[in-house]
Amino acid sequence: MASILSNISILFIPIMIIIIMLYAIYKRAPIYDYFIEGTKDGIKTAVDILPFIIAIFVGIESLVSSGAMEFLEGLLAPLFNFAGIPEELISLILLRPVSGSGSLVLVEKIVNQYGADSFVGRAASVMTGSCETVFYVLAVYFGATSVTKVRHALIVGLIGYIVGVFASVIVCVYI
Amino acid sequence: MMNYIWSGMLLFGIAFAAVTGNLDKFTDGLLNSCTEGVYFVIGLAGIMAVWSGLMNIAKETGLIDLIARNTKPVIRFLFPRGLSKDTIAMILMSFTANLFGAGNSATVFSIKAMTMMDEENRRSTIASNEMCMFLAVNMSMIQLVPITVIKIRSEAGSLDPGSIIVPSIIAGLLSMIASILICKFFERKTM
Repeated sequence: MASILSNISILFIPIMIIIIMLYAIYKRAPIYDYFIEGTKDGIKTAVDILPFIIAIFVGIESLVSSGAMEFLEGLLAPLFNFAGIPEELISLILLRPVSGSGSLVLVEKIVNQYGADSFVGRAASVMTGSCETVFYVLAVYFGATSVTKVRHALIVGLIGYIVGVFASVIVCVYI
Repeated sequence: MMNYIWSGMLLFGIAFAAVTGNLDKFTDGLLNSCTEGVYFVIGLAGIMAVWSGLMNIAKETGLIDLIARNTKPVIRFLFPRGLSKDTIAMILMSFTANLFGAGNSATVFSIKAMTMMDEENRRSTIASNEMCMFLAVNMSMIQLVPITVIKIRSEAGSLDPGSIIVPSIIAGLLSMIASILICKFFERKTM
């Protein structure tokens, strides 16, 4: 099952390319010219977003490397305990929204310490598989636009994230 | 707003590092992160160029129109005020890439979709309903195969590394439904 699904994942890019190419050939379009024209636009976008990305990376790193994030974890721990979330998952829950790579390191640690097939190990895996890096996504994606007032995007992202966290823990209890 | 948040992040970080004696770590981290930011964008630039090229072929040949026409019901539900065909195609590509876990390609489509919606929003400083809904779906999008986590699990000696696939999809779907509904709720409230 897992191998079939991971093949789907690998096939995504080739299939997309085949569809686009075959349609273009069918339409007898100047494929190469269109491609080059488009890549120029892509590189321009990359250059345009660079300043914002650097600003966001620096801002997030400031909170992580100074230890401010850990401090926040300590503050919020009782709240999670009260809600019935295992203590071992708290740092993951708090780190996941800001740092994708950081949270993967943490999952690795949790899985090795408590066992991949233990309840905590499974819950941590499911959480990483189903919950996005909310703050990071908001910062990077809005960073690419001229928007400074994000309206309800933040609260919706956070609620969705919290629902995902609870759903992960509950699903792991039953499955 | 960004002025306060960003300077707050930096100043709070420095103050905290000073109190806890982490100033050396802070400085290292800061310098590393700017380089990381540049590498990140350089890594994206190539993928972005290739996908923009391919999408341009799809656009010029009319494939995008075809896709946009056939996915109208879903798009209508999420974005009732309507968007241009090119933007819709980019949004759909972003969702599909996310679904298939095509990491950097998904990021590229999403950033592109956001900048296109920004144009349609006339570069306003206030986020449009469409942007919020796009992000709500994007942030909660399920991933068919969380391949990185599965790898980590199998390296840690799991007997069934893929056993988290179905639970992840269930949890992801719940989070997605909640996000969309809440986003719709806020849209009505703030209209």
